[in-house]
Amino acid sequence: MVDIANEIKQQVQERRPFTPAMILTNRWFLYAVSMLAFFLIWDRAAVARVFSSGLPRPQEVVLQLWRMMFDPLAGKSLPGHVWASTQRILIGFAIASLVAVPLGLMMALNRYVNAIVKPLFDLLKPMPPLAWISIAILWFGIGETSKVFIIVIGTFVPCLLDAYNGVRLVEPELYDVIRMLGGNRRHEIIQVCFPAAFPAIFAGLQIALSVAWSCVLAAELVSARSGLGFIIIMGMNLSRPAVVVGGMVVIALVAWGMSQLVSVLERFVCPWKREIDGQ
Amino acid sequence: MREEKNPGHVKIVCEDITKVFIQKGKQRVHVLDHISLDVKENEFVVILGPGQSGKSTLLRVIAGLETSTEGRVLIDGQEVEGPGPERGLVFQGYMLFAWKTVLGNVEMGPKLRGIPKKERRGIAAHYIHLVGLDGFENHYPHQLSGGMKQRVGIARAYANSPEVMLLDEPFGQLDAQTRYYMEKETARIWETEKRTVVFVTNNIDEAIYLGDRIITLEGKLPGRMKSTCKVDLPRPREHTDAAFLELRQKIIEETHLLL
Repeated sequence: MVDIANEIKQQVQERRPFTPAMILTNRWFLYAVSMLAFFLIWDRAAVARVFSSGLPRPQEVVLQLWRMMFDPLAGKSLPGHVWASTQRILIGFAIASLVAVPLGLMMALNRYVNAIVKPLFDLLKPMPPLAWISIAILWFGIGETSKVFIIVIGTFVPCLLDAYNGVRLVEPELYDVIRMLGGNRRHEIIQVCFPAAFPAIFAGLQIALSVAWSCVLAAELVSARSGLGFIIIMGMNLSRPAVVVGGMVVIALVAWGMSQLVSVLERFVCPWKREIDGQ
Repeated sequence: MREEKNPGHVKIVCEDITKVFIQKGKQRVHVLDHISLDVKENEFVVILGPGQSGKSTLLRVIAGLETSTEGRVLIDGQEVEGPGPERGLVFQGYMLFAWKTVLGNVEMGPKLRGIPKKERRGIAAHYIHLVGLDGFENHYPHQLSGGMKQRVGIARAYANSPEVMLLDEPFGQLDAQTRYYMEKETARIWETEKRTVVFVTNNIDEAIYLGDRIITLEGKLPGRMKSTCKVDLPRPREHTDAAFLELRQKIIEETHLLL
């Protein structure tokens, strides 16, 4: 068997000796060192009152979060507030993506749909979703609907754009391939267009997710009775920085968790995506 | 192994093909000018020409991806009106479906025609074996080298049982060593399962190594036929053979090509 032309990219696993140098340069060790240093600096800054009493010590935050797990704040425990925010995001995100992604795909595939939707979309695209907060409250009151509305507005744009671009960036010769194999227009769309656009659609979903987080927080900061944004506002009103920072920490963790979920989903749906080795 | 319907039967006929591209509504680019050629059944014809000679356009016209401005292409007497599975096309840029495995790529043709899974797996396996990629069925294209990707492309075109095989500078993106290897493989594959082949290249050595007949195009647009040359060397051929080099010299002199 000739080896020319049969090279595949293989990962070479080197067995390296277990030395102190190896530990020091290991990725996970460095992550741990970095995190530890961060907490140390934070603690020292808090004790030194760099921001007077505005910066709580890490252990105060942890304690506060622990307490909030069981003591309800405005009627809900911490998990309750997390779920309140997450729920709004999930509903808004679902509505937006279920409408925006197919619409984006159709715009890229059909000239007429494109002509009808594009001018309106181009006009509304640059506007920040937060500009819609006031009118959302006017229309829907201060309940759940107005918050979900903002999230829908905010996530709509990235979802549609990335679906649209995902289709437009498909290598046109791939359609030639399908045609030469005997496919028709329907095959072109289902067998080439959609799978080729999936990676771009997922990239759009990730962006939309982080937009959704800023939308939900902004909406909650303005008018809410529950949620992580609400916790932050309460903390500020009650002059309890530990609550504020605690809320921020939880937001960071939950947002990170959801982003990881989308990544896992992407790896499942798009197994062909090249892995970019972080090592 | 396909039986020849009628050795000497003319499979492909290009009648007076002319192609003019109209760009931006005004500029007319005259790419092909009155090209007529025949290809016999199971003949391996090479279209040789430098870059910008219109040879890829000619192949695309034969494939049906472009329509000629004048003239027509007949395959087995039927006029070519659009792309279709009777012509298998192998692309220079491989054009594999990145989201499908090797097996998924090769079986795409039969899949589009509604052939049931078990049967088409068998067909795909046969052609994957033919091109020498056993064991790589479940690899994704990004894991393969250029030579392997192109072999998937060849298997994919073969698996659809086309009447003719069209190859558009298939080894243009490969390094020299891989290229020689792929030429040998192509000759071997063709000998194993003969088809009518039209092969486009800019490389004289490749043309002489593979072709039964070499048609050279002029080196500038519009593309016209410069010369035709029969290659009577016995297979398998050797690039360093005296007869090979003689023929090479002859072609260079006739066509003023530098390659």
